[in-house]
Amino acid sequence: MAASAPRAPLRSVIAGVATVLLLALSGPAAARDTGLIFVSNEKTNNLTVIDPKSYKIVRDIKTSRRPRDLHFNADHTKLYVACGDDDVIDIIDVSKLEVVAKLATGPSPETFAMDESRRRIYVANEEGSSLSIIDMDENIIIREVPTGGEPEGVLVSQDGKTVYVTSEVGDIVHRIDAEAGVVDDDVVVGTRPRRFAATPDGRELWVSAELSGDIFIIDRQTFQVAGRVEFLPPGMRKSDVTPVGLAMTRDGKIAYVTLGHAAHVAVVDVPTRKVLSYVLVGKRAWGVTLSRDEKRVFVANGFGDDITVIDAASRKALISIPVGRTPWGIAIDD
Amino acid sequence: MIEMIRAGRLRSCAPSPRRSGESECRRRALALLLLALLVAFTPAAAQQTPSRQTLTIGYVEIAGDPRYEPIRGADRIILKTRAHPYPGAEVSIDDAVPLRRVLPVDFALARISVSSAEEVAPAVLQAIESRGIHFFLIDAPAAAFAPLAAAVRSRDALLFNVSAPEDSLRRELCAAELIHTFPSLAMRMDALVQYLVARNWRDVIVLEGPLAADAASAVAFERSAKKFGARVVAHQRFKPGTDPRERDQNNPTLLTATSRDYDAVFVADDAFDFVRQLPYRTQRPRPVVGSIDLEPVAWHWTWEHNGAPQVQARFATHAAGRHMESADWAAWIAVKMIVQAALRTRSSDFRAQRDFILAGAFDGDKGLAVSVRPWDHQLRQAMLLASPYAVVASAPVEGALHRTNELDTLGDDAPESPCHLDKKETVTPGR
Repeated sequence: MAASAPRAPLRSVIAGVATVLLLALSGPAAARDTGLIFVSNEKTNNLTVIDPKSYKIVRDIKTSRRPRDLHFNADHTKLYVACGDDDVIDIIDVSKLEVVAKLATGPSPETFAMDESRRRIYVANEEGSSLSIIDMDENIIIREVPTGGEPEGVLVSQDGKTVYVTSEVGDIVHRIDAEAGVVDDDVVVGTRPRRFAATPDGRELWVSAELSGDIFIIDRQTFQVAGRVEFLPPGMRKSDVTPVGLAMTRDGKIAYVTLGHAAHVAVVDVPTRKVLSYVLVGKRAWGVTLSRDEKRVFVANGFGDDITVIDAASRKALISIPVGRTPWGIAIDD
Repeated sequence: MIEMIRAGRLRSCAPSPRRSGESECRRRALALLLLALLVAFTPAAAQQTPSRQTLTIGYVEIAGDPRYEPIRGADRIILKTRAHPYPGAEVSIDDAVPLRRVLPVDFALARISVSSAEEVAPAVLQAIESRGIHFFLIDAPAAAFAPLAAAVRSRDALLFNVSAPEDSLRRELCAAELIHTFPSLAMRMDALVQYLVARNWRDVIVLEGPLAADAASAVAFERSAKKFGARVVAHQRFKPGTDPRERDQNNPTLLTATSRDYDAVFVADDAFDFVRQLPYRTQRPRPVVGSIDLEPVAWHWTWEHNGAPQVQARFATHAAGRHMESADWAAWIAVKMIVQAALRTRSSDFRAQRDFILAGAFDGDKGLAVSVRPWDHQLRQAMLLASPYAVVASAPVEGALHRTNELDTLGDDAPESPCHLDKKETVTPGR
């Protein structure tokens, strides 16, 4: 019995080594579906890479300073990471697991969205009060759209014609004509609007409002507020409810909302706008990402220096994994 | 009386000693220009143009206010520069510029500079009567407030106290037309004592300076100690100087050589000269708190949560790189509350806007939403416990509990306050 104790960690080490070897040997074309979990850590300037089966850390990728939002390109060969303190987006080669290029942005890039068909990246510059439109191939900022103070969430419509941006200071959501690069309408929402999710039918835009503690639902046709979802996990106070992260299932049925200081994730039935359940996670939960099969929900706990993995079916937390300092967001290579 | 009107959208780029500041200014100007062009060519904006209004906010200050004189050491060495919180109000005006497309209101500041505390009330009255200004930021010492409150009583005016900490303004003066966005002394001391007790540093010696402000701080500290269960094991009055005959009052080591041990030394020293020479000169190796090293403040430039770094960055570009301080925050949030009132009520009626300000919750970029206490019109808000280069903790500290709002563990809660503005029959007579 004593002999069996060290085997579990050993096995995971072997698994980890095998993963790394596999990655080292495989070319870019074979880089897909590794299932690896990438976590950006604001304060340690790195991405923690986690094995999806053992939940062990298999790699630590140094990035530019203050990595935050991160997205894969369509074929998952590259991972783009916005690094707020160096005003760049780092590009990571997923097969090599290292930074291979950088794109210049405006001051303090936080979140961004990619439109690969048009080869554009739309990035909110938190301190520049603008949205930079970047040409991915030329590596130039082709347009700078002035926004309200502290722009945050960015979402590109499916047809690529419209970009939505929140302004945390202005309590507004801008609708931007992507081609012209100008704001064509605004709508006032709750206090400190943060991130977006869009229903797959193209009708609704969900926006988290951190300080008013709710989700505002915008009708995209009329561009008016069409509803609101409020939260109150058991035993928490309304003032602790500070929703930020939002993720929606592909069928548009379920939304996961991280509630920040309330340390819970709300599971919301999208059609009825009712909260189905609250899942306890870590301190200051922000970033939330679904696995491709939508069986797992990953949550970054900014003040806990860990991430929580939730089983979507049972709505229970499975495990918390320590990562770097102040984890911001999560991307999964699946 | 000197006056300057300033609106966020009509600002020129003053030459700046810092190149980055200059380019930032140009960039802002460009951004504003783009914005202006955009507004001009947006059909929705075109419809609104005829009915645009300007909401002017008065900012009243005293030229040569001694509270803003630099604190000097020997040989004219400047230890601390101090400045009027006007740039805090300016940042808020700029923050409102992007709202132009959704709100047919422009916000502007009228900076009114008088030469003494006595002139504050007449200046405010004149601005109400001749210019129709309803909202004012009052950057004046406590002495200005009693005549001011009497002058504006029952008028359509709302005055924001952005720099006077005195508890007497919240307790005895108790005026419905005032809102205190600057934290009270009681709030600051409660925050400090909450932290000391949370660390179980309960035994404290108090060193009190000769000024009236020092006495007020010491009284507030002792009150907070009683409230949260800290113990004042010795209370000494110090007298700055080097006279050997008074060494029991001016020697840091002797003053802190009490027979009973203590966990921390609380110092009330508004003049700052004694306390700056106290750390590392105490008899026992104990931290110094209060006027140095661990100070309870409304804002600190190193606070890195709740969007605070972005506010600090916007402020620094307005104020030649200066660090944003508590009064700057108090001015910033006051203007923000007025902007929010116009935005959320969609009304240009002063009373509707005032009622919104009194009842609403606002994002102060320091955690829990801030709001006005109905009983004494103090803005409830988190406090920061700041060391020179870091915020050590924010208060309410974890574990400070309250039946309705944890922010009310800081300062006078309704049952403690002698001021009951919420229970008075009518705040303002009907129209």
